[in-house]
Amino acid sequence: MTLVTFTLANLVPADPAQAALGERAASDPAIVAAFREAQGLDKPVVTQYLVYIGHLFQGNLGTSTQSHNPVSQDLSVAFPATAELALFVIVFSIIIGVGLGTWAALRQNRFSDQLFRVLSLVGISIPTFWLALAAFYVFFYQLRLAPGTGRLSASLQAPPRVTGLYTVDALVAGQYTTFFNALSHLILPGLVLILYTVGLLVRFSRSAVLDVLNQEYVLAARAKGLSPSRVVFRYVLRGASLPILTIVGLAFGSLLSGTVLTEQVFGWGGIGQYAYKSATTLDLPAVMGVGLVVGVVYILTNFIIDVVYGVIDPRVRVQ
Amino acid sequence: MAKPPGGASDSRLELEADAAATAVYDEVQDDRAGGSGGSAGPGGSGASGVSFSALRNRLRLPPTFRRPMAIIGMSIIVLWFLVAIFVPWIAPYDPLAQQFDRLQAPNAVNWFGTDSLGRDVLSRTLYGARISLPLALILVVASAIIGSVLGAVAGYFGRAVDEIIMRFSDLVFAFPTIILAMIVTAALGPSLTNAVIALLLVSWPSYARVMRSMVLGARSREYVVAGRLLGFSPFTSLRRDILPNVAAPVLVLATLDFGNAILLLSGLSFLGLGATPPTPEWGAMVADGVQQFSDWWLAAFPGLAIFTVVVAFNLVGDALRDSLDPRTAGAVQGVKI
Amino acid sequence: MRIFNSGAGSTRAGLRITGLVAIGLASVLVVAGCTDNSQSTSSTSAADKTLVIDKSFDLKTSDPARAFELTGSIVDKAIYETVLDFDGSDVTKVQPGIATFEENADNTVLTLTMTGTHTFSDGSPVTADDIVFSLQRVQGIAGNPSFLLDGVTVAKTSDTTVTLTSATSNPALPFILPNPSLGILNSKVLMANGGTTGADDQAEAFLNKTSAGSGPYQLESYDVTTKVAFALNPNYAGDKPAYGRVVLENVEGPTQKINVQAGSTQIALDLNADQVQGMDSSVKITKNASPYLIYSWYNQDPAVSGGVTDNADFVKAVRQGIDYSKLLSIAGEGSTQPGGMVPSMFLGAIESDPANVFDLDKAKASLAASGYSGQPVTFSYPNDITVNGLQMQTPAEAIQSQLKDVGITLTLAPSPISTFLDAFRAGTLQSGIMYWGPDYPDPADYLVFNPGESLGKRAGWAAGSDPTVTAAADAAAAASGDDARKTAYEAWQNAANASGPFIPVIQPGQYAVSTSEITQLDLNPVWTVDIADIK
Repeated sequence: MTLVTFTLANLVPADPAQAALGERAASDPAIVAAFREAQGLDKPVVTQYLVYIGHLFQGNLGTSTQSHNPVSQDLSVAFPATAELALFVIVFSIIIGVGLGTWAALRQNRFSDQLFRVLSLVGISIPTFWLALAAFYVFFYQLRLAPGTGRLSASLQAPPRVTGLYTVDALVAGQYTTFFNALSHLILPGLVLILYTVGLLVRFSRSAVLDVLNQEYVLAARAKGLSPSRVVFRYVLRGASLPILTIVGLAFGSLLSGTVLTEQVFGWGGIGQYAYKSATTLDLPAVMGVGLVVGVVYILTNFIIDVVYGVIDPRVRVQ
Repeated sequence: MAKPPGGASDSRLELEADAAATAVYDEVQDDRAGGSGGSAGPGGSGASGVSFSALRNRLRLPPTFRRPMAIIGMSIIVLWFLVAIFVPWIAPYDPLAQQFDRLQAPNAVNWFGTDSLGRDVLSRTLYGARISLPLALILVVASAIIGSVLGAVAGYFGRAVDEIIMRFSDLVFAFPTIILAMIVTAALGPSLTNAVIALLLVSWPSYARVMRSMVLGARSREYVVAGRLLGFSPFTSLRRDILPNVAAPVLVLATLDFGNAILLLSGLSFLGLGATPPTPEWGAMVADGVQQFSDWWLAAFPGLAIFTVVVAFNLVGDALRDSLDPRTAGAVQGVKI
Repeated sequence: MRIFNSGAGSTRAGLRITGLVAIGLASVLVVAGCTDNSQSTSSTSAADKTLVIDKSFDLKTSDPARAFELTGSIVDKAIYETVLDFDGSDVTKVQPGIATFEENADNTVLTLTMTGTHTFSDGSPVTADDIVFSLQRVQGIAGNPSFLLDGVTVAKTSDTTVTLTSATSNPALPFILPNPSLGILNSKVLMANGGTTGADDQAEAFLNKTSAGSGPYQLESYDVTTKVAFALNPNYAGDKPAYGRVVLENVEGPTQKINVQAGSTQIALDLNADQVQGMDSSVKITKNASPYLIYSWYNQDPAVSGGVTDNADFVKAVRQGIDYSKLLSIAGEGSTQPGGMVPSMFLGAIESDPANVFDLDKAKASLAASGYSGQPVTFSYPNDITVNGLQMQTPAEAIQSQLKDVGITLTLAPSPISTFLDAFRAGTLQSGIMYWGPDYPDPADYLVFNPGESLGKRAGWAAGSDPTVTAAADAAAAASGDDARKTAYEAWQNAANASGPFIPVIQPGQYAVSTSEITQLDLNPVWTVDIADIK
């Protein structure tokens, strides 16, 4: 993974020294040379890569050529921002998406089923950047219901850092105004992303539940005269949980993509915006840092899902 | 982290896809047995020389397209393609002419209003179909071909070839599509061509995965083995015995992916990494709307255009998928923005 | 498969779940909305008032010796004092800052004499050593602003005097010294935190956390991507500013408009004319001519020009083919067509030039004379920056369309500013549109637009290729005294318009929109806005 990011980053034909240095400094060859030396750009590419890997093991991701901060420091600010948004979205999406999907499956081909299916299609078909803009226009510009861009109103200070998630940190510090403010900032970008993720989850949980409904053990449970809600929660959802879990993991990954465009509109200051800024300013250490973080998240998500998988389905453990 | 991700998650996908592959395979085989020696199937976008007769029989089944949603979707698609072809006669004005007062709200002359340079938004939106539809088509067809070939090769030959191809696709998969595409376009310089190249790089793996698992399932089938025993070369065997039977899911995936392609292309243009002005590209037009967002008509109409095309393709793709075995649907789902 | 259709229980359960979720979401939205509103009103009515300013950030660092961006200047102006100063928006007259100044007759030696009391945020007084350290540090680090003091030797002559000796006549120096990049730092604190006056300086990270200045504010928090917050400097020797806490927020223009209308922000700095148009009467609009100048260039280097843009008649056709008045209507009210490269508020600016007048027939004639045969010309511009809220893409698209009427085919080539600058500095861009912001308010800053000079080279204008313009430029640089300089600079610009590769296109208007709460707000060409002066 580091190799891919590194190769990609080095594909960039433009000179990062020129991009990082200002108008005047870049016309001075001595300064450019000093910059290249400081950044290790004067060494062969392979050496650069090995140096990068070496630093990586010491937890050093290099220094951003744009912010002049260690990349790890930038990421430690940007990552919790995205994580807060993504967690907010995924939690609500699972509740709503799986709920609606199950309901649709139980009412297969009835009106509500058709409605949810169309709605979920609409959810995954709306361009997120456009929806974000529309939501912003309606709820902020016209109705003045939602707060503006960013994670917190400018008049407030970020709560003392514990997790980096403003809502959690504010609660820990007992700053309730800050908590509600951070929460209100979460809602609009959250809803935009929830619509998309719910769209995905409804489709999948519906088909997963449909599969299970045909299984003999469900029929048997039903025949035994168990109450319908008991059958749904004890048998059907449990049986459908594996495929649903798979899709939750994939949805989480696509959520990270979705945040790039949404963060851009809402000025969220998360990984997405950081990635965009560093990609367009050719900030190679930052780009590589983003790639690394995203890769780690992907692997972690899959790992967690595998573990949960094993908990739910003993057969996987044996495997 | 120097090691690519994979392992358990991968095997899980395989497990699922294998089951799906078998299911679809049985069905398609049944159709084949039913015998229908038709000509080339719809789309015709698959690999060369493949007989789509079985597929066609499958897709021609009336219920698929008798569903109101599928009819709506199909009509919208046809409509947009007609617009793309005949736009010079449909559009009221030149999409590039800066001939009106700037930033006018929708009115009798300019039904969708005018933009910040005095161009007709309606004409630009209609001309946008000429940009997005062909590019998305190229993108989908190319990534379907590349992905399917790689996936088929990986699935058929297995071992080292499989390892290399699939590890590489894992790598690409681990990255959020748009971030990867962003880096590539930023590196190559913003233009629509580069955006398509970037998206091609990131969108082939889903085809490779589906194709691979289908081929894995089909490889040990008796008639394939029989074919090999008859002396077919691996490629002949792939082409004659396997591809026709696994083409249907790929076609469905491609239909569903068409919407994705449009979303991604317009997303990159929205970020200023795709279309170059004054090209009337939908995503770029929405981006203009961001700058003047109290003038809602700038972004609203091109956004609706993207939405209608994408939703139409998803409706049709959905209907197509339902005509396959429901379990195949899982394997075929393109889970990306 | 319709197992549960008769069982109403399951559906009701489902309904209950979704209903609960919906209610939960809705109530959160309402509660959050309420608290947000009460929040913003209570914070502004409190005794310790917070001022919120919206700015689209181009911030890189708050270390004055390294910062040379607009946002950096706003930040540094608030936390550091400079040896000399300007008053409000007036940059034609230099005022005393930490010191007063005197110059010798040939403008080579400038003597600074410290005046009044000035104290750093840690309570220690500002000394002549601090001035020498700070100015030498700017030179030694060789960061972006170091050119401001090129060829200047800084020396302490007594406990209260410092001399700046220039190798050649330097009449612009007093106008350079108020630049916030030349802010005076607390040398002892800095040296204790890795600060030196050489390239080995390590104090940038420290300065991005803590401010070591004698200005009215100090840094409370600093984040290059989201916001910078300022708190009062308790030891500031001057008058206490009106606002005890100031937040400079990174917000894009369109959102700024809503913020300031809703009152969640008091000042919006990046609105363009279109955005200002639709504002309701509850806000106040401060309008000023911007010191920024948008120009178009046509590369003279035969290797780059493609045999087109280095043709004098071709450039002439472009000059006559651009519909300037239409560009102004796009750039909005308050924008003007500059006569030359020097913006209207500086000495030596010219109002108009006969070379840059729209005339379609003449343009077509010039084009015919050039022998241009329709080959596409690549027209580059950065697509991720705005100048006073105006996106470069807008005039670029307009010019493309106007020149099409003349018969010239432009192919637009947008790119992010970083990649754009890379190619532009290398002089490999055939043509395009870019802007220039003044480094200091003196026409001498514009002499870089000459053959063989840094900007001239970007347009492939090699030294010696245009003796007339070079002679006029030399005369302008050598002139002394306001009247003589004015005449010389005017003559230079006329000469450059006649044969040069640069076409001054727009000087956009600069707007600041403020709520009724703000009674005093001055826009300054050097530091945009002095936060401490806002009332």
